[in-house]
Amino acid sequence: MDYGRRDLADALAAQYVAGTLRGGARRRFEALLPGHPALRAALADWQARLMPLTAVVTPVSPPAHTWARIEARLWPEAPAAAAARASAGQPWWRGLAFWRAASGLATVAAVGLGVLLANPQPQAPPVVIVLQGTEAGGPGAASLVASVSGDGRALVTRPLQPVALAAGRALQLWAVPPAGAPRSLGLISADGVTVIRRERLPLALLDARNTAALAVSVEPPGGSPTGAPTGPVIYAGKLQL
Amino acid sequence: MKTPTEQWTERSRALAAALSRSALGDRAAFKRVYELSSGHLFAVILRIQRDRDLADDLLQEVYVSAWKAAGSFDAQRAQPLTWLTHIARNKAIDSLRRAQAQPRLESVHSELDDDDRPDADQRLVDEAPGPAALLERASDARQLGHCMEGLSAQQRQSVALAFFDGLSHAEVAAQLCQPLGTVKSWVRRALMTLKACLERAAQTDRAVGA
Repeated sequence: MDYGRRDLADALAAQYVAGTLRGGARRRFEALLPGHPALRAALADWQARLMPLTAVVTPVSPPAHTWARIEARLWPEAPAAAAARASAGQPWWRGLAFWRAASGLATVAAVGLGVLLANPQPQAPPVVIVLQGTEAGGPGAASLVASVSGDGRALVTRPLQPVALAAGRALQLWAVPPAGAPRSLGLISADGVTVIRRERLPLALLDARNTAALAVSVEPPGGSPTGAPTGPVIYAGKLQL
Repeated sequence: MKTPTEQWTERSRALAAALSRSALGDRAAFKRVYELSSGHLFAVILRIQRDRDLADDLLQEVYVSAWKAAGSFDAQRAQPLTWLTHIARNKAIDSLRRAQAQPRLESVHSELDDDDRPDADQRLVDEAPGPAALLERASDARQLGHCMEGLSAQQRQSVALAFFDGLSHAEVAAQLCQPLGTVKSWVRRALMTLKACLERAAQTDRAVGA
């Protein structure tokens, strides 16, 4: 078909805007738009003609939560920062200063590589997150690498330099959501590779709606007794995919 | 039919300004866009997608898309609310297509597809006016109203069902108990009649203005 033909372009655009162009035809029309100025012009004309019809629909207030959800979708880091501003005296992961420091320090690399991955999966590229040492970790804590398989179901961690831990202390890895409390991903080795079993990982770990950052805290040998981080956070890295 | 920028309403200007600032990454401006337009867009979506939760989700998608595409909004070419409404209608119409592609569990219990309609209607937020009533109200708009009057009753009804409620040709045909081909030609002729009428009106306006 010759989509440059004015009458054809006009008829298609009319049905598209009216909503009666459906299914494959609708998809085709959308796919053709970028390459066909005549279609775009016809579309703009029909939008201008018919959209005023919608002016008579009585507005309906959307639910109160809708805007917050849009914000969370667009700017996953925003609620945490906003909550931190809203009240002081919250846990460390809500503190603005912590996130300032963490985002200043954190280098996040999304690199496709199989080197660090125990079991590379060719169909989805793995993601490597570099967690930088925080001030709390002292000069000894350089950085720690966490690589997550593309499907988010297997995670491998390794400190780039061995961490000097006091006796009877362990490192615990946390997934920090955009809002809400961090979630333990388990204990990790202070001087070597740790493979975290896939059944320990939450679904869609790499979805920015679920995970804003990864962090490592120093805890008692069996891990945090409270289910939330209790010791200092010595590594943190934001997830920016 | 395109309204020159200087004739825009206060809301259109405020929306256009907020959209332009949003394109530069101004989040507060984008919140203003939401405040000025979400009630209208939610209503437009709800007419087409009557499941309130789905409609809410679609509304979120609309604003996510609008934020990302704010840079492509061109005040010289479209009114801001037209631009946003277009995004909203597209998402709503596409959601109907998705819903149809998914298995319909409720049809296990209802033998006729038509039985689903009253259910869907009952889930509607309130007693919203029917598409024909809306078209009558739309007819208050000067030129459009005049041109709507030029349509036959069947043409008007078909366009209203398709445009406001997102019904496909086949669904309009079922609703009006008419053959598909007849409904298709009603809609086609109605749109072409509207176009010709609106273009004549615009020419008259220009002639009067000159």
